[in-house]
Amino acid sequence: MTGTAAASTAALAGYLELAAGGEADRKLAQSLLDGLGRQTGARAAAAYLKEDGTLVRELSTGAGSFPYRIAEDEASRFERRPMAGGELLLDGGTIQEERDTPVLLALAAAVRALVLEKKLKRQRFEVNYRGVELEALYDVGLAIASTLNLEQLSEEILLRAVSLLDARRGALYAADRDGGYRLSRILGGEARQRLAPDDPQVAALLQGRTPPAPQDLMPGAEHLLAVAIEVDGDPRGLLVVGDKESRRGVGPFGASDRRTLSLFANQAAIALENANLHRQALEKERLLREIELAAEIQRRLLPARLPRVEGVELSGWNRSARHVGGDYYDVLELPGGRLAPLVADVSGKGMPAALMVSTLYSALHLLLDGREPGPDLVERLNGHIFQSSAPNKFITLLVTDVHPVSGEVRYVNAGHNPGIVLRAGGEVEELPPGGMPLGFFRDGRYTGGELALAPGDLLCLFSDGITEAAAADDEEFGAGRLVDLLRRSAELPLPEIIEIVDGEVTRFADGAPQADDQTLVLVRKR
Amino acid sequence: MTLKVTVDRKPEGVAVIYTEGYINNQGGEEIARVAFDLIGDGHKVLLLNLEGTKIVNSIGISILIEIIEKMLEIEGKLAFCNLTPTIEKTFHIMGLTQYAAIHADEVSAVAEMAGR
Repeated sequence: MTGTAAASTAALAGYLELAAGGEADRKLAQSLLDGLGRQTGARAAAAYLKEDGTLVRELSTGAGSFPYRIAEDEASRFERRPMAGGELLLDGGTIQEERDTPVLLALAAAVRALVLEKKLKRQRFEVNYRGVELEALYDVGLAIASTLNLEQLSEEILLRAVSLLDARRGALYAADRDGGYRLSRILGGEARQRLAPDDPQVAALLQGRTPPAPQDLMPGAEHLLAVAIEVDGDPRGLLVVGDKESRRGVGPFGASDRRTLSLFANQAAIALENANLHRQALEKERLLREIELAAEIQRRLLPARLPRVEGVELSGWNRSARHVGGDYYDVLELPGGRLAPLVADVSGKGMPAALMVSTLYSALHLLLDGREPGPDLVERLNGHIFQSSAPNKFITLLVTDVHPVSGEVRYVNAGHNPGIVLRAGGEVEELPPGGMPLGFFRDGRYTGGELALAPGDLLCLFSDGITEAAAADDEEFGAGRLVDLLRRSAELPLPEIIEIVDGEVTRFADGAPQADDQTLVLVRKR
Repeated sequence: MTLKVTVDRKPEGVAVIYTEGYINNQGGEEIARVAFDLIGDGHKVLLLNLEGTKIVNSIGISILIEIIEKMLEIEGKLAFCNLTPTIEKTFHIMGLTQYAAIHADEVSAVAEMAGR
């Protein structure tokens, strides 16, 4: 054995002792490399490990520095010795087989140990990271169950998806009404604000492919992966991630990434649906509150009590088919002790009709202002309603001008069902229309009529919700039944007559839902 | 999304590294560069304040592990503070907390690391 060989053997024994003593493989390998560098006279030496197809420097010794990563052509400039899982590179110096083989073998073993240790570390990392993935999915599920804040959930889902897929960027799109997708949240750069349904790039995405020009969708992106967010087959959104990262840069996503992203998309679908249902419930509740408020406002438009005057008895009643209605009645007090009992009926029902009632109420009170409720006033009222109403909206109105003492009655009927005068002797007269409903034509013309009430005569103004109340077989209550009822009860107190009419109409409908608003105003000459 | 990294060398001897953004490959390498520079300057007690970070991926974590390994090698001390619950849970699962303490806030972290 030569002196050099003996020294090598001693060094090797020391290194082995070092290893046996439990010192890290890395220190052993470093010592071997240092020894080899000195032994071969190399300016520098480095041990490289193969990682993802490239050589990455693990250890080095001597002067000069080897790059952290080295390309194949660059590595060829040096003396190379393959080792399991890596390579030894020498800058200068000479390897003598007899002298250096023991150290080379020991170094190869130590490097192999490093490779295995790294592999073990990577596997442990990956196992741990699977735990992170499972926890993330579990956490997102919990978040969905515990909050209905869609903004917060969207951010949580996008953050988790981008993070777990090692994506460099991501975006969450919400489906819009035109079949496209609108950008909802973005992470890691920019993304197109809207994806059109017929965009071939979007089609490619939905087919699981990176579109031809990913940078058009996400500036800077090279690889995209997207999955649709669907609820019962309906598209609700799109979850997109871009550029899978590794230590070497970015690359495409794999099949397992698609599965993971699909899991997040499913979670997002549940979150979106829950939040949507919650929003609908809140909206419904808000609408109900608004309708109740509107009903209260409308109740205040109707008279709380009617005037008590000498010469006539008065009574009025109204019931809406819905929370708010399109019927209106009043008995306004006019100069000279006269009264203006009136009934109006807006076409349609519900909130739009109620808004029209408010318009009519305001216009009528503003225009009346001490004037006679005759044809001139109704024409001006018509002009106002025409201007302020939708084309398909109109109002029928029967307004009267009653002198309580003399019994003199003047009236204008704008397309309303004829009012009825039931004479004390049982005869019936009508108050027929003298023009079209308000709001039909800009320049509607109206004519009025006159009559006189004698003691015991009953004037009845009503809306068609009473006479057109229908039974299950569609038969209507009709004006004839109303007149009969009035005849039979003409001498009763007016509130009792109203109760009777209401009761009979309800009985006639036989449980059928009230289809239209019902209003009744009675005036009886004393 | 580029990670913004800033440093504050506290008089207590703790170098605080602040991050703002995504700790991914690029972000992680930026943190490592700053951390290794600090180590090169003789700093052996580093605190990573992640208040401005809501997301970290596996590449970012692997780089943080490398920084922890480096700190072990030089017998230094590394800790984290102001973590989101998600990131804190991730660090626990990944085993980072075996070698790097987690503090609720910077003040308590600096006090603890400075041995006060």
